[in-house]
Amino acid sequence: MKISIFGAGNTLLTDEGFGVHFVRHLQSRYNLPENVDVVDAGTMGMLASGFIENYDYVFIIDVVEVKEKPGTVLIYDYDDIRLNKMPAKLSPHQIGIQEMLLMCDMRDVSPENLKLISVVPESMEIGDKLSETLQNNLEKVENILLKELESLDVPFYKKSTNTNLKKTTKYHSQICTKCMLMGKNTAKLKLKK
Amino acid sequence: MSKKITIDPVTRIEGHLRIDVEVDNNRVTNAWSSAQMFRGIETILKGKRPEDAWSYAQRFCGVCTTVHAIASIRSVENALNVEVPLNGQYLRNLMISMHSMQDHIVHFYHLSALDWVDIIACLKADPKKASLLAESISDFGGHGVDDFKNVQEKLKHFVDSGRLGIFASGYWGHQAMRLSPEENLLLFAHYLMALDYQRKAAQAVAVIGGKNPHIQNLVVGGVATAVNMDNMATLNVERLSLIREKLSEVKNFIDNVYMNDLVLLANRYSEWFDIGSSVGNYIAVPEYPVDTYNKDFLIQGGIFFNDEQNIHHKILDHSDDYLINNITESSEFAWYNNPAPLHPWEGSSDPQFTSYDYNSKYSWCKAPRFKEKAIETGPVAQILAGYHTGNKFIKKEMDFYNSKLSIDNSKYNSTMGRLLARGYRAKFSADTAVHFLDKLIDNIAAGDSEYANPTEIPSGEYKGVGFHEAPRGMLSHFIHIKDKKIKNYQAVVPSTWNASPRDENGVMGPYENSLINTKLADNEKPLEILRTIHSYDPCIACAVHAVDPEGGDIVKVKVL
Repeated sequence: MKISIFGAGNTLLTDEGFGVHFVRHLQSRYNLPENVDVVDAGTMGMLASGFIENYDYVFIIDVVEVKEKPGTVLIYDYDDIRLNKMPAKLSPHQIGIQEMLLMCDMRDVSPENLKLISVVPESMEIGDKLSETLQNNLEKVENILLKELESLDVPFYKKSTNTNLKKTTKYHSQICTKCMLMGKNTAKLKLKK
Repeated sequence: MSKKITIDPVTRIEGHLRIDVEVDNNRVTNAWSSAQMFRGIETILKGKRPEDAWSYAQRFCGVCTTVHAIASIRSVENALNVEVPLNGQYLRNLMISMHSMQDHIVHFYHLSALDWVDIIACLKADPKKASLLAESISDFGGHGVDDFKNVQEKLKHFVDSGRLGIFASGYWGHQAMRLSPEENLLLFAHYLMALDYQRKAAQAVAVIGGKNPHIQNLVVGGVATAVNMDNMATLNVERLSLIREKLSEVKNFIDNVYMNDLVLLANRYSEWFDIGSSVGNYIAVPEYPVDTYNKDFLIQGGIFFNDEQNIHHKILDHSDDYLINNITESSEFAWYNNPAPLHPWEGSSDPQFTSYDYNSKYSWCKAPRFKEKAIETGPVAQILAGYHTGNKFIKKEMDFYNSKLSIDNSKYNSTMGRLLARGYRAKFSADTAVHFLDKLIDNIAAGDSEYANPTEIPSGEYKGVGFHEAPRGMLSHFIHIKDKKIKNYQAVVPSTWNASPRDENGVMGPYENSLINTKLADNEKPLEILRTIHSYDPCIACAVHAVDPEGGDIVKVKVL
């Protein structure tokens, strides 16, 4: 069973980058098995189609622009997106994702199952950090996703970190080599606890 | 009587570009190109560490991730005069060229082909005839009668259920569409097929980047990816052969499908070699460094002025003072303070939005100029520079297709010329990728195990520029470092050159210029304008960037 956790968004536009911030958050906390790809898809849209096509399960993490309170988590099934029944516009790269899904359908390479786990953003200003509201949402989305993985019998292990994070930045970058950008943020997050 | 037509947005992907034209008797007499988003994303870099600049720059745009990362890391290396070991250069070259392959395939099929291909007309095609046609062109697989039937059935299903989505706003049935039903079906089948090949190209890049669509492995002074032939955790024999396998599949697609489709379009729409001609000034920088100091390149750059017969200036390396010192950006017609032309090192992006005014400010895009001239950048500039500096590969390609299509080099200043030049670029990107994969392996086999020249950012003040000849043309990142922090950062991207508004002298930018005199069959459906603008492969996400809360995926055409 192949699973893709697909984080979308632009990390230079605060909450717009939630999906990417989330996959970095997840990667810094958990070890996931080989068959789970955790993807920082940025705003690549159809250029990242390889991380959607032919998967058994795809979880897209993104922001959604609807008239709800910032921080509200909304979950959509594949058909909600596929049939263009979205209640409002998604983020700007949404065109890319929907376009990509349509073209997956046309070529019979659509993922078997797809869920969009989305949050309502508070800020879309230029900036490389999430608003506090969405920062607090990372764990909420983490819980939702982990439950999904549990229901699919996917084993995951919490990374043993938490201590010694203060030591050196070098140590930190060893923990999350893949998150150059978010490095400091995740460190701060953990130190707060 | 003259009419004004507004098309907004023009791009099929990232970003928002608005084009306004004045039409008299169905002929364009005036044009305005406007980026509809504030650009200022570089401000995020101020105060950041120069070592991290590339990872931020990579997020300027979702399409051009790799290219911004490369230009950015080069700007820091240029400022500090850092040597990059050959393995580092080769690996970067490999990533750049493979990225170009993906980018060009997507541009041709998914962002521009449907200006020429009528997908609704595909339904009328005879799959048998389409198959015969395909087989007469090449022996590439996937062209059986059943394959075409299958594509047709799927398309019919989508049309019947009203799920055309992104295709819904196309100008189907437009009188300027000229392919036969079978040709339309052939190209649409390739449109779908191309999705597989762009993915293969992306997979090849991701092998280096560790299964990630964004490259992860740059450091100031080289790359963080060591090749160890036996170590599973690094780039090893198995992964290098996976790259080679993907590369050869994509190369085969470019050589035998993409290029043949271009020839088909060029033949059917040959008058488009005379439509869409622009300023006739070109700029391209050298690409694919083959030494450690960016002094020696595989393809040379150059500057062309339309009033000069020969190449105006050859650009042989990335430290060319004539190139660096003569670039300015003007905001006379853009929504910024400080309208006077400034060198990018001195440049500011202080927004001052007023209304859209044809006679004053109308774009978020600044007007970059070289010696006060509006300049086109992109594949045409690069192939002309290659041709005039004696690049054998480029010359051979151009001579071959010039003769096949009965054209000469002057015809590249046109809408079709731009599409064709991009095809050559896709082709030599594939060859270049193979070339650098071989060089890398040879160099490692010869015992070179250096990948980076670890560099500490020193105290003091430094200025640098990183150039990259990207899929859309000359990209330059200007960095000013002070006391280990970024003091100023400006990216002058290819689409800024091409989408530029008028400058302080009233000189139009390349998009604008190329629309003048275009004849429209139907003012309500200005397909001809889209053809020309799309031929530049506009990507306005980084020329400007921000969020449009209204979304807006439906093209609005307003005729006044």
